[in-house]
Amino acid sequence: MAMRHLNRRHFLGTSAAVGASALTGVGRPGKANADNETIKIGFLAPLTGDVAAWGLPGLYGCEIWADDHNTMGGVEIGGTMYNIEIVSFDNEYLPDKAKTGATKLIKEDGVKFIQMLGGDTWPAVQPIANREKMLVSTLLPSDLSPDTPYLVAPAEVHPIYNVTGVWWMAENMPDVKTTVICGQDDAIGRPSVATYQAAFEAHGITVNDTIFFDISTTDFAPVVTSMLSSNPDCLCLDTAYAEFVNELCKQAYEQGYKGKIISCTADFYADIIANTSEEFMEGMIFQFPDFDDPALNDPRINFGDPNGFFKTYNEKHPGEWGAVSWEYASILDLWLSGAQKAGSVEPEAVLEGMKDGGIGAHAFGEANWWGEELFGIDNALVGNWPVVQIQNGKAVIVEFKSIPDWWDQHKDIMIKKFEDMGEMWYQRS
Amino acid sequence: MSYLIWALLILAPLLLAGLSQAGGAVAGRGPQRTMWLWIAGVVGFAALMIAPHLVTYSQQELLVFLVINILIVASYRLLTLTGEFSLAHVVIVGVGAYGSALLTKQVGVPVPIAMLLGAAIAGLVAFILSFPLFRMKGFYFLIGSFAAGEVIRLLWKRFREPFGGPKGIKLIPEFPGFELFGIPFEFYEPVTFYYFALIIVGLSLWLLWRIENSRIGLTFHAVHWQDQLADSLGVNTRRYRTLAFVIASVFAGLAGALLAHYLGTINPNRFDVDEMVYVLIWVIVGGTATLWGPIVGLIVLTVINEVILRELNVDELRPLFYGAILILAMLFLPSGLETLPRKIKERFSRDKKAADAVELTTSQ
Repeated sequence: MAMRHLNRRHFLGTSAAVGASALTGVGRPGKANADNETIKIGFLAPLTGDVAAWGLPGLYGCEIWADDHNTMGGVEIGGTMYNIEIVSFDNEYLPDKAKTGATKLIKEDGVKFIQMLGGDTWPAVQPIANREKMLVSTLLPSDLSPDTPYLVAPAEVHPIYNVTGVWWMAENMPDVKTTVICGQDDAIGRPSVATYQAAFEAHGITVNDTIFFDISTTDFAPVVTSMLSSNPDCLCLDTAYAEFVNELCKQAYEQGYKGKIISCTADFYADIIANTSEEFMEGMIFQFPDFDDPALNDPRINFGDPNGFFKTYNEKHPGEWGAVSWEYASILDLWLSGAQKAGSVEPEAVLEGMKDGGIGAHAFGEANWWGEELFGIDNALVGNWPVVQIQNGKAVIVEFKSIPDWWDQHKDIMIKKFEDMGEMWYQRS
Repeated sequence: MSYLIWALLILAPLLLAGLSQAGGAVAGRGPQRTMWLWIAGVVGFAALMIAPHLVTYSQQELLVFLVINILIVASYRLLTLTGEFSLAHVVIVGVGAYGSALLTKQVGVPVPIAMLLGAAIAGLVAFILSFPLFRMKGFYFLIGSFAAGEVIRLLWKRFREPFGGPKGIKLIPEFPGFELFGIPFEFYEPVTFYYFALIIVGLSLWLLWRIENSRIGLTFHAVHWQDQLADSLGVNTRRYRTLAFVIASVFAGLAGALLAHYLGTINPNRFDVDEMVYVLIWVIVGGTATLWGPIVGLIVLTVINEVILRELNVDELRPLFYGAILILAMLFLPSGLETLPRKIKERFSRDKKAADAVELTTSQ
C-alpha cells in the first residue's frame, strides 16, 4: 500500500516526469510484434488525487511488465500469440468515476481483465462486473464477499499479512512488551487495526491504546503526543498512508521517541530518513521490500527477475518506487498463468485457470486460494509474506513468514477482533 | 458527433444565461429576445433528448452524473441568492443520499417514496442547522457551515450502525424497473436513468426558476443586496436566509437520492470538502447572476475534464490542465462564463462602431 497525498513536490516531480516522457518518448512501450493479436487489460485505479500513489506507481509497473512481454514477442495463450495493451482509467478514488471507467473499459475498450485498487470504488463497479462476468482484481481483500464471484485478491491480502511483522518482532525483539496503535479511520485503516490488535494479542504484546485519526488530519503532533503518553516500547503506524507515515515518524523523532516502530508500509522511506535520521529509522519493521533485495532471487519466488524489474522501474520512473509498484504487475503474472492454463483470454475461463487446484503462484511463493472464513469466499491468494526491516538506511527482507501458519494458530483471535471492529464480511452494510 | 452534442449542451445554457441577464444584455427586449429564448430552449431540449444516443457508453454514464450535478449546482445557487456561500451543501446532498438509502435498505420504503423522504430529511437537517448557522453571516457563516458539515460527515464515519462507518452503504436498491407497451425499463441502464433523472431535474429547475422569480425570490435578492434596508422595512432577513437554505437543501437532498440509487453505494468521503470545492468551482466559474450560470460552469468544466482531457489520454496531467483553465477563466471572465455572450456582443458592437466611425471618416 502507499499514500494518501502526493505532496506538492512529489506531484510536480511526477507531473514533470510524465510530461517529459510524453514529449521525449522515454518510457514508451518497446516494439511489439505487429503480427500478434492484442489483449487489452484495464487499469482502473486512482492516478490523480489523494490516493494517486496507490495507483500510478502500479500503472508504471504494469506498463513495464507489458513492454517486457511484448518486446519478447508477446504471450502465447491457447495457441495464439498476443501483445498486451494496458488501458488505464483514472477513477480518482471516486465511486462514480469508477463506474464510468468500468463501463468504458468493458464496453468500449473490450478489456478482458480489470485491475483495481478496490476499497471505496469497488461497490460501484460490482454490479457491472457481475452482470458482464468481468474478472476484476483488487488489492483490498476486504472487498471480497460471497456476492463478488468475479473479484480476486491475488497479490495483496491486506491487512492479514501484517501479522507476519508482529510475529517476527515478537521472536526477535523480546524487549517489546507494549505498543500503541494509530491509524486513519477509514476502510483501510480499520481492518488493519483489527489485524494488528489480533497479532499483538497473539504474541503477548500489550496494546496500551488505539488511536484513530481522520484522513483529513494534517497536524500529527497531538496524535504522536498521545501515543507517547503511555511510554510504549513500540509505535504501530497501522496501514497509514505514506504521507501520514512520514509525518508520524517526523513527529516521533521530534518528540524524542527512541523505541521501535512497526508499520504496514514505509513508502519513500528515503524521504522519511531525510526528515528524521538513519539512526532513528534503524530497525523499523514493515511489509514491502525493494525488489533489488537479494532474498527475492530465491527460486521459490514467482516474480520474474525482480532485480531487473526494480532496475528498469527506477530508470524509467526514478524516485517513484512504492509498495504497489510490483503488485499490479505480479497480478498480471497470475492472470497470464491462469489464461495459459485455461487456453483462453475470456474472463470466466481465466478465473477458473487461476484458481485451478486451489493453488496459485503468488509473487512470494506458492500460495492457497483462501478467505471463506474471513471474507466469505476463497478468492484471496495467501501464502508467505516478507518481513522487511530498515538496516543502515536500506529496506532489507529479514524473513518470509507463512500467513496460513499464523492463521491456523490464531484465527479465533483475528475473527474476534474483526467482529469487534465490524469488519467481517457478514457485518458489512 | 459526440463533440457536437457536447457543444450544443454547452451553447444552449450559455445562450440562455446571456438572454436571462438583467437589462436584456444580449438580445435586448421584446420579440427578438423571445425568439432567441425559444431557439436556445429548443436547441437545449433537443440536445438533451438525443444526447445519450450520440455519445459513447461511458459518456452515457457521464451524462447521468452531469444531470444530477446540475441539480446540485442549481440548488446551491438558490442559497447564494441571499448572499451566503455554504460549505455544507455537498454534505446535505449526502444527507439526502443516506436518508433515501437507509429508508430503502433498512425500513423497506419503496425507492420513489424514499427519494422524496430523503429530500425532506435534507431540508429538515438544514432547518435544524439554520438555528446556529444563521446567527452568523458572510465568512463566519462559511466557516460555520464547514464545521456543521464535517460534524455530520464524521457522524456517518463514526457510527457503523446505521451509517456503515467509513465504508458507507453498499448494495443500495435501484429504482424499480417496469415494462411499458412491452418495452422493459431497467434503471441500472444509464440511458433509462438519464431520462428519469432529466425529468426530475427538469421539474426541479422549473420550480427553482419559479421560486426565484416569485416575491420570495425577489426578497432573497433584497436580503443579499440590501439586508439592512430590508430589515428596516420589516423583512425578517434571517427567516428568508433560512428559507433559501432549506429549499436549496431539499433539492440537494433529491440530487443525493438520485445519486445513491443510481450508484448503489455511498460513503462519507464521497461528500467531503474536496467535492464541495468542485461545486464551488463550477458555480464560481459559471457565474451566479442567472440560473444558467452554474450549469454552464458545470458542463464546460466537466466536458473539458471528463471528455476532452480523457480522450487526450493525459490522465496524470488533468489536474494541471484543469488548474490552468480555472486560472484563465478567473482572469478573463471574473464574473463567470455566463457573461461570455454579453462580452462577445459588446466586442462585436465595438467593432461595428469602430468600423462605422472609420467609414464615416473616410466618406467625409
